[in-house]
Amino acid sequence: MRKSLITAVAMGLVLATASTAFAATRMLETGSTLLYPLVNLWVATYQKEHRNVQITTQGTGSGTGISEAIAGVAQIGASDAYMSNGQMKQHRMLNIPLAISAQQINYNIPGLNNVHLNLSGPVLAGIYSGRITYWNDNAIKALNRAYASRLPHKVIIPIHRSDGSGDTFIFSQYLSFSTPSWKNGPAYGTTISWPTVQTAVGANGNPGMLQTCKATPYSIAYIGVSFLNETNKAGLGYARLKNRAGRFVLPTTQTVNAAAATLVSRTPRDERISLVFAPGANSYPIINYEYAIVNPKQANPATAKELREFLNWAIDGNGGQKPYYLDQVHFRPLPASIVKLSRSQIASIS
Amino acid sequence: MTSIERGRRSGVSPEDPLVKGLARAWGLQRPWAQLIFKLGTGTTAVLSALVVVLICVFLTVFAWPAIRFNGWNILTGTIWNIGNQYGSGSITHNGYSAEPGAQFGGLVFIFGTLATATVAMIAAVPLAFLVSVALVYRVPARIRPLANALVELMAGVPSVVYGLWGMVVLVPWIGTKLAPAATAHLGFLPIFHGDAGSGNGLLAASTIIALMVIPIMVATIRDVINAQATSVYEASMALGSTSWQAVTRAVLPSVRNGMIAAIMVAFGRALGETMAVLMVCGAAINTYPQNIFQSVNTLAAVIVSQLESALTDSSGMAQRSLAELAVVLFAITVVLNMLARGILRGADRSQEAQ
Repeated sequence: MRKSLITAVAMGLVLATASTAFAATRMLETGSTLLYPLVNLWVATYQKEHRNVQITTQGTGSGTGISEAIAGVAQIGASDAYMSNGQMKQHRMLNIPLAISAQQINYNIPGLNNVHLNLSGPVLAGIYSGRITYWNDNAIKALNRAYASRLPHKVIIPIHRSDGSGDTFIFSQYLSFSTPSWKNGPAYGTTISWPTVQTAVGANGNPGMLQTCKATPYSIAYIGVSFLNETNKAGLGYARLKNRAGRFVLPTTQTVNAAAATLVSRTPRDERISLVFAPGANSYPIINYEYAIVNPKQANPATAKELREFLNWAIDGNGGQKPYYLDQVHFRPLPASIVKLSRSQIASIS
Repeated sequence: MTSIERGRRSGVSPEDPLVKGLARAWGLQRPWAQLIFKLGTGTTAVLSALVVVLICVFLTVFAWPAIRFNGWNILTGTIWNIGNQYGSGSITHNGYSAEPGAQFGGLVFIFGTLATATVAMIAAVPLAFLVSVALVYRVPARIRPLANALVELMAGVPSVVYGLWGMVVLVPWIGTKLAPAATAHLGFLPIFHGDAGSGNGLLAASTIIALMVIPIMVATIRDVINAQATSVYEASMALGSTSWQAVTRAVLPSVRNGMIAAIMVAFGRALGETMAVLMVCGAAINTYPQNIFQSVNTLAAVIVSQLESALTDSSGMAQRSLAELAVVLFAITVVLNMLARGILRGADRSQEAQ
């Protein structure tokens, strides 16, 4: 009995030394809940081919991702929004795009969920600021001549995120860029000071948005495209949105790619740019880069090396950008010129 | 005879042979053991008080820039705006700066905290009293242990479970059935007047809180009735009163202090409940509910829901203002606790005067 115990302890010690001898490089990815499912898919495959790295993933929210990357707790902070100038002034971090995401405007109007209503930035701004309160408001009718008689005289219930969110960021950018009164009022950010609307509801996370919209007839919500399967299953309608060129477009592979194509040439070297309300006749107006927020100065060279390797794999056409990964969450791959910019940013990690 | 005297009479005295025997068996009468015991209990007593003080001091120190920046606006303002993070420039007040457009008014959340807790207590107090009376006098002795266990189980259910139930069952029911009917037919009453909303709001949050605090109150009130009012009830019945009269005229007055203590513990819990409330309150911002169905927000819920974006505020003022909200919540709890102690002391004195 005692002998076997000693053997067990000895074996444990041997194993412990062995594992330190081949110490895996540990990395933590934390942040955006929109990116979380994708990073999980990536990491599962990546670790099979790279047994020397151990990557832990967490879905904690973009704000936490950024602040933990700054603090050095996490090596990769996942964020739906790029860092503001104010933040960059205090902490020079890299904002590296990993994929392109989009957002749909969902609604729950019994009888009309099977059609795509036309909505525009100014009309959405009107709904979210309480100027447009009924579904059969003239402003909505004017955009939907074909369904004008079917729009019900029911109070609109606008749902917004109660937590800080990249989805709020790009939605409020669409309103700001298309509607001057919104730009001078609530403006945009990961959380904004929502105008007073008596029927408005705040929901927590994309799952909360989905649940509230599903459970509340005559509500409207903005939900990340990675929830498209769920919103379709819930029977919610989603809108054609008016783009900068004045056309109404659905979020499809073509319209998202078209929007990205018009803006990639303008992406600066630090890659902090909004893709919202892009020009182009066929551009879907609410798309964005999903970012890895990374400190260019890592704790040790080994971590820096593994981090560069993983990020380069993630943005590679034969790696993380394969349709196998991106299609599952309805993200679009990065265009070649953006991959090039990202590679040069990744190379600066030391 | 006050409750305290009654407690002393039934309490264990140090002269009790059993206590003496135990103390001898544990060697507690040796001087060094006495010393260790005194030191141990003394330190833990001081520590527990110190922790509360330290939390309060830490919060206040951390929130200090916000206290200076916000002034009275945190208590009187209705607009909560962390400012335009992506704008340019900043605003400065009393030497502390925040992002442009920032203002941190907490009145909406203070109102929501007090309103949800109060509505919850209005529903929960009579229910808890009646459940306690039923458990003591009405439920047959055979199934009483089971009934007691079920009530205690209610207290053990994690709050997020109540929240989830509220989100998928209660809120849709209020939003699609109760609220439209009530606003349509009872709209002449101020609490039902106006838009029905979505079901997320004051009533949903208060219902969830009530469900959570009822078992806490029942546990206390039931024990107080058991300890103090069994004979009162029987005597009252023997004098020919109905059971309703016995409960309202005899039992209720004799357990008043226990009731007040139970209410205060429950009220504290109601003020601070966070996750379940956040899931059903509608997270109102910049707006008060116009009726009992519309969205509200509480201090605890807003601290959780706004923290994430406050972390991205490069001026740091949003985080510090959330800490200031925590100080406000702390202060409300302390004030209510002191009020309750005052009531209890007053009640004791008036009983002695009789």
